[in-house]
Amino acid sequence: MRTATRMGVLVAVLVLVATVSVGVSQERGITDTEIVIGSSQPLSGPAAFWGQGVGGGMDAYLKWINDAGGINGRKIRLVLRDDGYLPTRAVANVRELVERERVFAIVSLIGSANAFAVRDYIIENQVLWMTPTADANMWAGFKNKKYLFVGYPGYVDEGRILTTYAAKNEGVKSVAVFYQNDLYGQKGLLGIKRGIADTKIKLATAVPYEVTDRDLSGQAVKLRQSGADAVMLYATPTQGALIVREMAKIGFSPKLFASFTLADPVMFQLAGDAWNGVILTAYFPVPGTDPKVDAMLDTLLKINPQLRQSPFNALAGVSFLEPFVEAIRRAGPNVTRDSVVRALESMRNWNGEVIRGITFGPDRHQGLNRIYIIKSENRQYKKLTDWIEYPVGF
Amino acid sequence: MALLAQYVVGGLAVGSLYALVALGIVLLYRTSRILNFAHGDLATFGTFIAFALISTAHWPFAAASAGSLLATALVGAAFFFLVIRPAKEATLLGKIVITLGLALILQGATAVFWGTDTKTMPFPLSDTKVYRLGEVVISQISLGSFAVGLVLMAGLYVLVQRTRVGLAMRAVSQDMVAAQVLGIPVRRIFALTWGLASALGAAAGILLAPVTLLDPYMMLDPFLKGFAAAVLGGIDSMPGAAVGGLLLGVVEALFGAYVSVKFKTTLAFLIIIAVLVIRPEGLLGREYKRRV
Repeated sequence: MRTATRMGVLVAVLVLVATVSVGVSQERGITDTEIVIGSSQPLSGPAAFWGQGVGGGMDAYLKWINDAGGINGRKIRLVLRDDGYLPTRAVANVRELVERERVFAIVSLIGSANAFAVRDYIIENQVLWMTPTADANMWAGFKNKKYLFVGYPGYVDEGRILTTYAAKNEGVKSVAVFYQNDLYGQKGLLGIKRGIADTKIKLATAVPYEVTDRDLSGQAVKLRQSGADAVMLYATPTQGALIVREMAKIGFSPKLFASFTLADPVMFQLAGDAWNGVILTAYFPVPGTDPKVDAMLDTLLKINPQLRQSPFNALAGVSFLEPFVEAIRRAGPNVTRDSVVRALESMRNWNGEVIRGITFGPDRHQGLNRIYIIKSENRQYKKLTDWIEYPVGF
Repeated sequence: MALLAQYVVGGLAVGSLYALVALGIVLLYRTSRILNFAHGDLATFGTFIAFALISTAHWPFAAASAGSLLATALVGAAFFFLVIRPAKEATLLGKIVITLGLALILQGATAVFWGTDTKTMPFPLSDTKVYRLGEVVISQISLGSFAVGLVLMAGLYVLVQRTRVGLAMRAVSQDMVAAQVLGIPVRRIFALTWGLASALGAAAGILLAPVTLLDPYMMLDPFLKGFAAAVLGGIDSMPGAAVGGLLLGVVEALFGAYVSVKFKTTLAFLIIIAVLVIRPEGLLGREYKRRV
């Protein structure tokens, strides 16, 4: 009987708490002077380079916006948390951002496995989520995307396009894949397999690694033994650099292809000259090919000179924020989740300083559907193709 | 056949570094019965000191390495004097937990001083210059670190087995009270052991840096492997640690090559469990009997 009473009280309290929190959550993260947004990034661990670049880029960009007076009188404050590239820590971070920091939106959040781990929580709590830095293909067929907007390519599309280019333009006959054994690497591998099926070349081997692995000598021997004339990488900067060094150690120097995730020139520093001539993709104009992008990079570097190591990732951070900041501007003084959603959905082929050609609509939340191919030579980028489009999936 | 040889060569190269890590763990365990969970982080800290001496103070590599070994040894000895010794009342398990705390402190300090991004260690040997023995390829860096590893192991063996200090260390590990009665300065021997084990870790870290690249978490995987190697060889046997390290390197390489790359990382943990179940004293360890 006493237990039943206690249960009754507990239920009553829970109902009360739920009602109150729903009532408060209407304008979460918005005041007259401030908009609070949050992000979880790998500021430590094997992918720290991404987090430092993207997080640093976002931070510097917002400082630039805020120093110019903010948007409609409001400054944007970024609450950044480190997840060490671990999905469990990403979950804890996002809960903290939503429940304690009461952020208006989550912007970015690096890692396909991490994004996958937090997506149900974010969707259920109806938090606005701008461009999870994760495989975009995972959202196709996913329900309840009302508050989710993605301006980032999918690794399946990327892998397919990269492989097709390798076969048709670089004369590659047989491909070996070095991939991270999680959602990121597996989706890249899936894309490469599709490209291979389209172009009728050979998949020599697919060799996985774990995020914690540091000794990759065995993997390097396997890649060499496969007899492939090209190796494609879906890895973090740490393991991507390590495998290239290990391959060089055993005298194996294939043609290298990699995801845009490894586009930063720091790879030259980590992997040495073996990195020269690697072919990658990009989803916004790379530095040195576009005056607006170069001007933005200069602005970021003035605010935070350390970003010199990671121009591509810093600009990527800007590219995730740009459509969001534009939507806040379009929403006017009355910023609510729904007014921002309406503003985002009104974007047609919108160009920011960095990101280009963003289109959202009521039935379209995949804002970006094109990439192009670049080559990284002597720390400079060379554009190899024009935009290559892929189908819009959601 | 050449392929098998290539895997074995790769396994031995990395195994010699596991062995160095394992030796540091075993050296301390033998003398003090403390399992030092900060060993990996002491090694990382020492490696970063070498990195700072080379890249900021522009010392030559050899001098920077020597400076790093000395500094890490001092940190280890200081930790003994300032924390472990005052914690006299703590149980053995308590002391092990204290080393976990040290691990966190060192990891945090490394991240604060040098940042969490990945760095490369300037190294005097080239990893792209390779030697060929038939079809087997070995890089200058692998060969060099293998050789240095063997020299360090031999040096340690001579120190422990052939010198008066080594004799004192062995005496303390067998019976502390008797050693004290015989006039051996037990505290200094403990501090020396802490210093030596830490320096050994720093040496392993410096040799590993070209393999793992440099960040505050670089020793996580090598430490676990070194721990597995120590258990495999027998946690109180120095030759066991050396053999265990080399064996683990080779077994891991062959497992990755012929069974599954996906489960290569898991293998070390399976080995720990298997050894503890089947032969808890390890390959070369003596059966551990406690006098009551």
